[in-house]
Amino acid sequence: MFHNYLQVAFRNLVANRLYSFINIIGLAVGLAACVMIALFVRDELSYDKHWDKADSIYRLHTTFNIPGREPMHSVHAAGPAKHAFLEYFEQDVVATSRIRTFSTVVKHGDQALFESIQWTDPETADIFNFDVIAGSMKDALDDKSSIAVDRSFAERYFGTTEALGEVVNVNIYDITRDYKVAAVFEDFPENTVLDIQAFVAIDEADFVNQRWEFEQWYSTNVYMFFELKPGISIDSINDRSAAFLDTAIQIDPDAGAFTKASDFLEVRAQSIKDIQLFPQGRNGSEMKPTGSMTSVIIFVAIAVLILLIACINFMNLATAKSTQRAREVALRKVLGAHRGQLVAQFIGESVLVALIGLAVGVALVELLINPFSDFIGKSLALDYSDGATIALLLGLVAFVGAAGGAYPALVLSGFLPARVLKANKSAETSGSASLRNALVITQFAISIGLIVATSVVYGQRLYATSKDPGFSKENILVITNLSRSGMRDKQEALRQQVEQIPGVLKTSLAPDTPANGNTGNTNLIREGESDKESMLIGRQVVDHDFFDLYDVELLAGRFYDRARETDGTPLEENATDGEQQVGTLILNEAASYRMGFASPTAAIGERVRMGLGPNREAMMEIIGVVRDMQFQSMREPMRPEMYQLRTDFYLDLSIKFEGDAQPILREVEAIWRGLAPEVPFDYGFIDDRIEEEFAREEQQSVLLAVFAGLAIVIACMGLYGLASFTAERRTKEIGIRKVMGASVFDIVRLLIWQFSKPVLVANLIAWPLVAYGMVSWLESFPYRLDSWIIVPLCVVAGLIALMIAWATVGGNAARVARANPIKALRYE
Amino acid sequence: MLKLHNLSKVYRTDEVETVALDNVNIEIESGEFVAIMGPSGCGKSTLLNIVGMLDSSSSGDYVFMGENVAGYPESKLSNIRKQNIGFIFQSFNLIDELTVEENIELALLYHNIPANVRRERVAKVMDKVGIAHRAKHMPSQLSGGQQQRVAVARAVVGDQAMILADEPTGNLDSAHGQEVMEMLQALNAEGTTIVMVTHSPAHADYARRTINLFDGHVVTENLRAAV
Repeated sequence: MFHNYLQVAFRNLVANRLYSFINIIGLAVGLAACVMIALFVRDELSYDKHWDKADSIYRLHTTFNIPGREPMHSVHAAGPAKHAFLEYFEQDVVATSRIRTFSTVVKHGDQALFESIQWTDPETADIFNFDVIAGSMKDALDDKSSIAVDRSFAERYFGTTEALGEVVNVNIYDITRDYKVAAVFEDFPENTVLDIQAFVAIDEADFVNQRWEFEQWYSTNVYMFFELKPGISIDSINDRSAAFLDTAIQIDPDAGAFTKASDFLEVRAQSIKDIQLFPQGRNGSEMKPTGSMTSVIIFVAIAVLILLIACINFMNLATAKSTQRAREVALRKVLGAHRGQLVAQFIGESVLVALIGLAVGVALVELLINPFSDFIGKSLALDYSDGATIALLLGLVAFVGAAGGAYPALVLSGFLPARVLKANKSAETSGSASLRNALVITQFAISIGLIVATSVVYGQRLYATSKDPGFSKENILVITNLSRSGMRDKQEALRQQVEQIPGVLKTSLAPDTPANGNTGNTNLIREGESDKESMLIGRQVVDHDFFDLYDVELLAGRFYDRARETDGTPLEENATDGEQQVGTLILNEAASYRMGFASPTAAIGERVRMGLGPNREAMMEIIGVVRDMQFQSMREPMRPEMYQLRTDFYLDLSIKFEGDAQPILREVEAIWRGLAPEVPFDYGFIDDRIEEEFAREEQQSVLLAVFAGLAIVIACMGLYGLASFTAERRTKEIGIRKVMGASVFDIVRLLIWQFSKPVLVANLIAWPLVAYGMVSWLESFPYRLDSWIIVPLCVVAGLIALMIAWATVGGNAARVARANPIKALRYE
Repeated sequence: MLKLHNLSKVYRTDEVETVALDNVNIEIESGEFVAIMGPSGCGKSTLLNIVGMLDSSSSGDYVFMGENVAGYPESKLSNIRKQNIGFIFQSFNLIDELTVEENIELALLYHNIPANVRRERVAKVMDKVGIAHRAKHMPSQLSGGQQQRVAVARAVVGDQAMILADEPTGNLDSAHGQEVMEMLQALNAEGTTIVMVTHSPAHADYARRTINLFDGHVVTENLRAAV
């Protein structure tokens, strides 16, 4: 009997080639998309679960709650927190450890390269587990002239992992030191938020001139991890975090607006397992780009939707086709088949098709997994030896097969043989027709929703990256690392030579450049007001040429002037305790209002007190107010800012140019190499930086577009199959209509209208859902598309869906409409 | 009304050539009632389809109302057909999804007739064939005789000059069959030309002339004295 079923199944597949093709390809594409998304999601969910102590490793985050401002969240902690936290939570915490990544210059032999190296505390070796190839992590981290490197680093620099005792020279700030390799460990897996290649020990004495790095409470630069003792709940730590801060940080209640640290500071712990999917910091504040639970949910939803569309095709075509097999069912019944046997036969057939679909789908996955992995920046692979993967695949097939086969199986097996055999006409029930309609509506609603979502995501990215940031961002090249030893004393020479390059229009040595990620703040107090009235205002440091080069609009007053020696910010080093320095300051419009001035013009000539460091301050005259600009990030709301003039230190050289960037870049590099061959050359373009901030949205919009396209293609394949089936079923009706005088056009219109109705209904369902979803999505951006844009997008998506449906159905309808009616009527 | 001159129809497949009609010459006057008889496969239906412009001849002339339509493109034939010819089939060929009323209206739907005029004419013709009380019913709710009456109504609602009936009584019992024949006779009396294919000599007797076909040839033509 099984042989007979199999034979019938295969003959049916071959006889109905079109339907088999649509079914199998549709299902294969759906399954392939599902499998790839499942691999992606599984990878995202696996982040940092592999540490031996994963359940007890947490990271301490800091929030500054400054009155009148949005809270500033940071995933970093202040350097002193390491000791203070362990001391306060001695009963609950096993160990604390800081990790601080520096971009260093590493020299080995005659090559000098930029490398990110992590400064850390010895406890890191206890909290995280390392797969040590040679040496000992403990030894490496207990000695300030030792370095622990990972396999890739060792192989890159020494050509072998047997690198113990090898030496590299590392430069950061004032440190230029030979580090001896004391440990080599296996590269970290990709599924961790830690991006580590080499560790050296923190010695706070190395940073006496950079006390903000590890010693100051209000400067958060380090990732601070800690290990919780068994049985301690993280809530009990978070609950006591305010008390911890008030114990650790002593505030002079008379000095400022706050009486205790917890009035404006907050720390909270996050499990290392949650960092990847619930990132709490700003864009770019983790060691490498994180994912997000939203993306995971979006992709799971897409996978489910695509699979649903493929399943719907499957059910639709199977149901439609099944009514043509009524005679076979009737005969089997007459010959004694039980209903159960028939149900088993039909479900079996659909599982068989699903299996073939799976085979094709797996082939597709193998074909596409590498490009997909490259695109999302992961290395995913289908592992056939993995039980979970196999179970997932077979589970999908069983589900799709059973779901697709169930309805036709139940309907068909319920046919009454006598009626079927006698009636000699299609035994379709109105139930299966309306089910099919509902399924087509679902498919198109999904497709329309995906089209709208794709265009909104794309539009938002376009909007955000093309929005006027308040300064000129085109044709600006930024050369970084001017403060490295070797280049520090040649900055002016570099600038002068660069200005000679044809095509270079302007240069600026402003230390802060747009979108460089600096988020510093400084307190300002209006003259005559008490310290309690202080306002924390964003701080960017510029030079004389900055505003001219970046084409920033002046609203009132004037820009900094080289001819006036009094212009600028006094240096902390030059100040003495208690003495008040003087200087000049430029604010943006938002800052002038924040300071309480009635207008930009009203602020000119007014004076504000500004902190320079502990017990040192300066009285600054406001000489100019500029238009608000998006100095930091298009992802963040515009903030009140001051632009301090400093000429004592430079980090970057901004170059405004015209024409082709590449030849200019080559000449700049040649100049750099001539001046400081031992310092690596590094650069960026301002407009690229701004676009990079939206890389995730860009990636999402491309993926969404691909998957929306897939969904539509699969839905159309289904519609095509269904349309040809329906046309076949309506042959007699079409024949009659033609005899009655209907033209080919009349018939095509009739059939197209039949399939337009479900698409129109699909629009009505999709529009409110997708509008709601996209409006919520847009709300996460401070600068976003007007929500009303979704209305025309919905209409356009609806029209696209309709056109696609027409194109799909039209050709088939025309063919049917042209057929000679007498055949339809005679052999009825 | 129409004139067939040396009309032939040949069906070809890859292997076989079947001659369905072989040099047929027939002339039918306006207002005639003609029965076409002959054994299965003699070409009756093919002839009827060609006359009804649902099929085209392989060679020969077909002059319809003074116009040689042989070789006309489909759209042109379709226009002539819908103006002048009504059809009645053995298996009724009503659309299952439409009501009686809508099925009859179908014949006017493609004629650019305003909806209110259409409804009027449908109502009138339903009265005429005695099916008005079933106007809102579906074909599946009707008996065979009633279904064929709907088909007749559909054939005449457009005031067609000629009705082609392909074994109109083939699926009906004798009482219902007679009913339909009487209806056709009445229509003929009002001036409609009727061409009917039938197997039943009794029903052929309703016609004024009988054409006998055999293997694609016209073998005899019997003219009956006016009834």
